[in-house]
Amino acid sequence: MELQKINVKFFVAEPDQVPLTAFIDIFHSWIQATDGIYYDVADYSHMHNGPGILMIAHEANISIDETGGQRGLLYNRKQPLDGSNQEKLRCTFRAALENCLRLEQEPSLQGKLKFRGDKGLFLINDRLLAPNTEETFLLVRDDLEGFLGQLYRGVDYSLARNLEPTERFSVWMNTAVPCEVAELLKNLEA
Amino acid sequence: MSQPETWKEKLAADQVLPDLAREIDIYEQQMELRKQGKIDEKVFAETRLRRGVYGQRYDNGQRHDGTRVQKLKLPSGGLTKGPETVWDAPGMMRIKIPFGGLNPEQMEVLADLSEEYSDGVSHVTTRQDIQYHYVHIEDTPSLMRRLAAVGITTREACGNVVRNVTACPLAGVCRDEVFDVTPYAKACSRFLLGHPDTQDFGRKFKIAFSGCKDNACGLVTMHDMGAIARSKVVNGKEKRGFELYVGGGLGPVPHKAKLFDEFVPEEELLPMAQAVSRVFARLGEKRNRARARIKFLIANLGIEEFRRLVLEERAKLPSDLRWTEYLSWAHEYKEAPLKPAASRNGGERPEGFDRWYATNVYQQRQSGYVAATVALPLGDVTADQFRALASIARRFVKDTVRTTVEQNILFRWLSEADLPEFYKAVQAIDLGEPDAGTIVDVTACPGTDTCKLGIASSRGLARELHYRLSEKSLELDAAVKNLRIKVSGCFNSCGQHHIADIGFYGINRNVNGYQVPHFQVVLGGKLKDNAGEYGVAVGAVPSKRIPEAVERITERYVRDREKDESFQDFVRRIGKKEIKQVLDDLTKIPSHDAAPSYYADWGDPREFTLEDLGTGECAGEVITQAEFTLAASERELFEAHLFLDDGELVKAARTAYWSMVRAAQALVKIQNHDVSEDEAQILAEFRCRFCDTQVFYDKYAGSKFADYLFKAKDFVHNGSEVTRDRAIQLVQEAQLFIDAAHACHNKLRSTASATRSAASPSGMASAGEG
Ligand code: HEM
Ligand code: SF4
Repeated sequence: MELQKINVKFFVAEPDQVPLTAFIDIFHSWIQATDGIYYDVADYSHMHNGPGILMIAHEANISIDETGGQRGLLYNRKQPLDGSNQEKLRCTFRAALENCLRLEQEPSLQGKLKFRGDKGLFLINDRLLAPNTEETFLLVRDDLEGFLGQLYRGVDYSLARNLEPTERFSVWMNTAVPCEVAELLKNLEA
Repeated sequence: MSQPETWKEKLAADQVLPDLAREIDIYEQQMELRKQGKIDEKVFAETRLRRGVYGQRYDNGQRHDGTRVQKLKLPSGGLTKGPETVWDAPGMMRIKIPFGGLNPEQMEVLADLSEEYSDGVSHVTTRQDIQYHYVHIEDTPSLMRRLAAVGITTREACGNVVRNVTACPLAGVCRDEVFDVTPYAKACSRFLLGHPDTQDFGRKFKIAFSGCKDNACGLVTMHDMGAIARSKVVNGKEKRGFELYVGGGLGPVPHKAKLFDEFVPEEELLPMAQAVSRVFARLGEKRNRARARIKFLIANLGIEEFRRLVLEERAKLPSDLRWTEYLSWAHEYKEAPLKPAASRNGGERPEGFDRWYATNVYQQRQSGYVAATVALPLGDVTADQFRALASIARRFVKDTVRTTVEQNILFRWLSEADLPEFYKAVQAIDLGEPDAGTIVDVTACPGTDTCKLGIASSRGLARELHYRLSEKSLELDAAVKNLRIKVSGCFNSCGQHHIADIGFYGINRNVNGYQVPHFQVVLGGKLKDNAGEYGVAVGAVPSKRIPEAVERITERYVRDREKDESFQDFVRRIGKKEIKQVLDDLTKIPSHDAAPSYYADWGDPREFTLEDLGTGECAGEVITQAEFTLAASERELFEAHLFLDDGELVKAARTAYWSMVRAAQALVKIQNHDVSEDEAQILAEFRCRFCDTQVFYDKYAGSKFADYLFKAKDFVHNGSEVTRDRAIQLVQEAQLFIDAAHACHNKLRSTASATRSAASPSGMASAGEG
């Protein structure tokens, strides 16, 4: 199966430390620091367990997402990626982790934001390409495990497919021991 | 069997009605032709708008980031989808929900699509539609197909056409209605969808149905055409009909609709709507968009003359079975409840239930049943919530769910005994908020969040007012609690601020040398009596001080109102001057250095600017039927090419010929709008109007291109053998013929506008002014 529309979410360790609306200002400042990559910031802070605050771009949206009541950074790749599945996974995970790290280092948050490296969600945002079935899981599993071997560098991890049939195909990734997103990013660089 | 690779393949077999499928195929081909530069950007813009594919803020390719204008990185390389509208820029998708009716399958698909193609949010609009934002145009055909598979079309959700037909969300269960208008709204929306008589309007046309005259729900008098249920005893038998109104509309200049007829019998409803459409298409303003709604035509002609013209048109209409064939179904139409009626009988009352019950629950006419409002914050619902609402619907009511113009969702036919469980279920997805239909339940248009025309942040303001008011909702005086607030981001009034007790629309003011977002305060509009009165503007207040303005106005109302005095009467009594005084000090703000936040809008840290204002797409340009038909001929020719590539030579030849007939029909339409689809008539009219007169005549090639058409006709009709070479030749000739048709059309258009300019004293086109 050729992977596309890959989404990755890493979760915030102590969500109460930072109000959701703080990310509006941060994303606007990121936009000011880049040049035309992002179209807009969308604010859904009035919703419960919703898509949160998004930064919309052509290739991928980045958001502080609260779906399922679990706040995290969601990297939503929209445009097709070239290359092997390993390369695509690497590219999306790296982008997600880089943005997590950037937020952790964001001066206005004064170190209050930490992401958990030990818990992640892998998702394919395309019900045609990836129906949420065991069959899809079997098709994706080898690629995902091949990649996670590198990401987690030998640390034990478990995979659990989301079994809710109406939801999109997604897989929870949990490592046996806590780790930081910075470490994961380093593992990918190596 | 191999896995389908596209939604088209997956859904092709059975799920999409052939008509809808064809419509979407055509749209997809138009996209392809636009990419090849074969359709003009203006024609394509109206083509997509008529399918609900709208532009969105920043789609001109630039955005002010608060310090400077950034050029957005869009890979389309200069390709546009309309004037100053970049192809790849994300846009808005409007999905028509006639009378707001939804079933669980539709809710689930809407939820899924919002995740896959939008930002995970379905937004309920002020006209019972659903909208997605940030949609990529390349995704729109799949999106449409998946909607079509559950019986939803986006066709004519936008553009100069009949928009979503709305109706009271309580229709069928209301205690005050004369009869259930649902089947009539449904029939009207089906009959007019894609109807040839509704394709040539100068502006959009909105229709609403109401079951009674006094309540608010239908908002009939602010519509281009509105119908209020009426019944009358004729020969001892009860007869259904409608009090029909025409020429209402909000927008910058709101008009109240005029009474067209006190009683249009039900069998005359559709023919009358058709006759109104024909008169509007024929006489309505086409060039000056600002005066093109039917309200201006009626104001110009006077209602008597308009009525005379419509009746004259009605008398001429050839009879149509569809006018009446739905009536027996309409009489029998009845929604079936899922559960038997049962009273609550004291039962359990979960925490928060009583408060929610007081505002969100309506006793239906049918005893033992209630309708409950699920209040959506700013009309937004997440995919998870929407799916959960679908299962809640399956569990309690099945398919009797409606969106409302207050941007909420109404569950009808709930058995009273189920209410506590229903409440727990909606609360579990955080949609158990009370205060529906009160001052807390603020409605707002998209505003600067996504609208190109937005001046101030209507949603930002609505969110802020909602927070503040819900915090003190319990302490609010009942008179205040029953007021409504509606916010528009600009004077176009998509948020319907004219009909709220307290309305706002966004404007810009210059203060201390800076641009400052403001809202014009509009007081005293009336929702009741089908939007019975429009409010008056009393003054502009800086955006950040509007919450204080609301406080002042409502406090003053509580303090000074005379016994049972309505807000409208109160506003009238104390007068504009005094209200201005109440607000006077709020119009001032501190200096920029002292308090920069006043110089930014709600929920947006950027310093306020008007740099991002774009050209709006309330509808595209007026594209004539001739231009549309020319575009259709291009598309047919494109199909001929595809047949050729597939080696289907006979089909290629026939389709190439038909593309020429279509182009000829386009030209005939300039002179005879009503030309039929009949091949012989088209060719005869084309010959006498364009060939014999040498209007379709090339300076160098003479009648050569016209000859292609007539020769192709003989060839196709004689059943001659189609060789590959002959098919290729026909396709090439068709291309030349269509090019010549475009040239002829342009020539005629420029001659026409030159004649118009010469006739006008100022040398400018004069029609439609004043
Ligand atoms: C000159 C341009 C426009 C005019 C004059 C205009 C006017 C209006 C009016 C008067 C209404 C609502 C009242 C009614 O129910 O009839 C409306 C509805 C609406 N408008 Fe606009 N509008 C314009 C452009 C836009 C644009 C650019 C957007 C955002 C992209 C927009 C978004 C909406 C929405 C969401 C509704 C609710 C409509 C529905 O669901 O059918 N409008 N418009
Ligand atoms: S009222 Fe103005 S800002 Fe609001 S949606 Fe309509 S055009 Fe846009």
